[in-house]
Amino acid sequence: MNTIRTAILAAGTLLATIGSAHAEWPKDRPIQMIVAFAPGGSTDVMARAMQPYLEKELGADIVIENRPGASGEIAYTALAKAKPDGYTFSYINTPGFLSMQVQRKLGYDPKTIKPIARIVDDPAAIVVPAASEIKTIAQFVEAAKAKPGAVSFGSSGIGTDDHLAIIILGAEAGAKITHIPFNGAGETRTAILGAQVTGGGLNVSEFGGNDTSGLRMINTFGKERSPELPDVPTAIESGFNVEMTSERGIAAPREVPAEIADRFAAAVKATLDNPEFQKQAKQMALPLAYLSGPDWEKEMPTRLARFQKIWDTTPWVQQ
Amino acid sequence: MAFLDVLMLGFSEALTPTNLMFCFIGALLGTLIGVLPGIGPTATVAILLPVTFFLPPLGALIMLAGIFYGAQYGGSTTAILVNLPGEASAVVTAIDGYQMARKGRAGAALAIAALGSFFAGTVATIALAIAGPTLSAFALSFGPAEYVALCIFGLLAATILAHGSVVKAIGMVCLGLVLGMVGIDVNSGSARMTFGSTELYDGIDFVVIAVGLFGIAEIATNLESKEIRGVLQSKIGRLWPTREEFKDSWAAVLRGTGVGTILGVLPGGGATLSAFSAYSVEKRISKTPEKFGHGAIAGVAGPEAANNAGAQASFIPLLTLGIPSNSIMAMMLGAMTIHGITPGPSVIQNQPELFWGLVASMWLGNAMLLVINLPLIGLWVKLLQIPYRLMYPAILLFCCVGVYSVSNRGFDVALVILFGILGYVLRKARCEPGPLLLGFVLGPLLETNLRRAMLLSQGDWLVFFERPISAFLLVITAAMLLTLILPTIRKNRKAAFEASED
Repeated sequence: MNTIRTAILAAGTLLATIGSAHAEWPKDRPIQMIVAFAPGGSTDVMARAMQPYLEKELGADIVIENRPGASGEIAYTALAKAKPDGYTFSYINTPGFLSMQVQRKLGYDPKTIKPIARIVDDPAAIVVPAASEIKTIAQFVEAAKAKPGAVSFGSSGIGTDDHLAIIILGAEAGAKITHIPFNGAGETRTAILGAQVTGGGLNVSEFGGNDTSGLRMINTFGKERSPELPDVPTAIESGFNVEMTSERGIAAPREVPAEIADRFAAAVKATLDNPEFQKQAKQMALPLAYLSGPDWEKEMPTRLARFQKIWDTTPWVQQ
Repeated sequence: MAFLDVLMLGFSEALTPTNLMFCFIGALLGTLIGVLPGIGPTATVAILLPVTFFLPPLGALIMLAGIFYGAQYGGSTTAILVNLPGEASAVVTAIDGYQMARKGRAGAALAIAALGSFFAGTVATIALAIAGPTLSAFALSFGPAEYVALCIFGLLAATILAHGSVVKAIGMVCLGLVLGMVGIDVNSGSARMTFGSTELYDGIDFVVIAVGLFGIAEIATNLESKEIRGVLQSKIGRLWPTREEFKDSWAAVLRGTGVGTILGVLPGGGATLSAFSAYSVEKRISKTPEKFGHGAIAGVAGPEAANNAGAQASFIPLLTLGIPSNSIMAMMLGAMTIHGITPGPSVIQNQPELFWGLVASMWLGNAMLLVINLPLIGLWVKLLQIPYRLMYPAILLFCCVGVYSVSNRGFDVALVILFGILGYVLRKARCEPGPLLLGFVLGPLLETNLRRAMLLSQGDWLVFFERPISAFLLVITAAMLLTLILPTIRKNRKAAFEASED
């Protein structure tokens, strides 16, 4: 259906451009925004919530195209290959965008992708069943040390922020935690609710945006406490030096004109400042954290180096 | 009685003109996209999602839900008419439904499918209303070990699915298991059988295989014969099922509804399994199992009831626990959160009008679907009279569009061609694609859960027998296996069933 809509719009704009010169950006044709994950995922829902606001700010039509696959590599490859004319953007997610650079040879050069704006900074966290005796991260680690391997931790998959956080925690504390990968946050949640695992990883938005009965978050892996969950301590303040968040933002091909990049970033900022959008974001428990493209990009090399360091000692993918 | 009070509340919400309208739009839209092969409800709901942010919350949810169960109705239409299942759950319907269509009984198959679905939808809605919270507790007790036992049970059922040689059926299941392994392994993160192609990292999509093995192979086979008829030109026969056909299907509908409601509650593959399981049950207890695969109406009635009950029951984990069991439910969850509704026990208490309004609308929607679909049967059957030379290019076109829209890439369309050829070869070798698809669906579920169970138990195999549900399922599987291996026992069992039915 998406395709049909794209095709019709494309055909229409093609007709419109025949005979007349190209219209000024972004009036020429709809802007295509790639979502690297399947419809219904949290990135997709956020993209669709932002769509009407961005359209209004830019005065342009936006078409969302889901290009799921290979934890985002398919979408990022498409973005890297797209013309830098300001009509193709993609949502990008960390740590995936960075960790895959460490993990394997990619079909595109990450340098050809330019971050435009960060939207969300969502801390990873440890969540246990509400009835669990484990109340703090210290108790979680103690339990793992007391019976090596008996404490299990469900994550949303190999190489996700939950998984990386638990690898670092295990290394920091010298504890053996059995990692159980699931397919996404929904399955992880089910496993925690059913007490199939000792604990599991749900990000702050995945936890707070849903019904929390039956679940208890014992700590986050954020730099500071989340404004959404002020009572939950961070791992750092409990004495475990582990920081892991999942960021979401927008990127474009590297050569996109600076003026277009700036206008797009301004539209994203205006959307995040819009009280109406903020209300929706609050309901989704989205930890909004705008960062300009250049500022965001500046942070990436440090994180990348950290992932490389983890990979060198404990590669999380079997080769 | 409190139950009646809340039901009244629900109906008073669902019966407002606006909500009725949303219900109708959803059901109609669902039927239409269900009929177009490959264009699934997921894409439709995704496109409509931003629109729903500006609708009243209940209206939005009613419409999205309508699209989902409407598509279940529509999906069986193409499976019966042109052997093209658009959804995993319709694969089983195609087996006997299409054979009925070839014999001029397309109308009867469609009518039984619609009536059976309506009945199943009604029962599952009532189950949701009465036992929602209890059933969801059952779903939570399903851990990795239980899923392993369920999958083993399902794989054994696959051999019953086939009506030809058992050896070939097992071969097909194994081929399905291998195809299911393509992609990144959930447990280790390494890529398997992708031949270095990133397009294969997430495995092969179900729609690609189903359209190739069923749809394309069917067209190829039809074009082979000179008198080019396929279904067409065969007598249409009377549209309504005969008394005999009704008699053969009502019990199947009852059993299918039961199977679907229970399995549909399980997040992760429950709804798909329900249709397969219902078919196996019907064939196993039928007095005339040889008719299955050649147009047995019970083979349409049971699975159709099961897949609709399963679809309806998959709302139970969503509404009572906030757990989405498939991508559509995930999108419903998205729509809810944006409206500030967090599905879970608190919704039923704090916003009863929303919960019960949605439940009541589901029943109304099912009734509307019946009203929409029954008159359409005549029209669908007339479509079969269109000359095949005009029909098959259209079917091919819809297949391509549908397959492309799954992940928006041409690679999948190319894969369909490959599977079309494979399907044609398999047909020539008299191997049935049904067991292959079941292996394909269950393989990854079995593998990931087996590995999870072993990780959790730290390598202790006894875990499967220590947990009651898994032990129970394994015992049943063992019993089924015995009846399959020992023909004498099989005979006795058949006699026992005959005795108990009289």
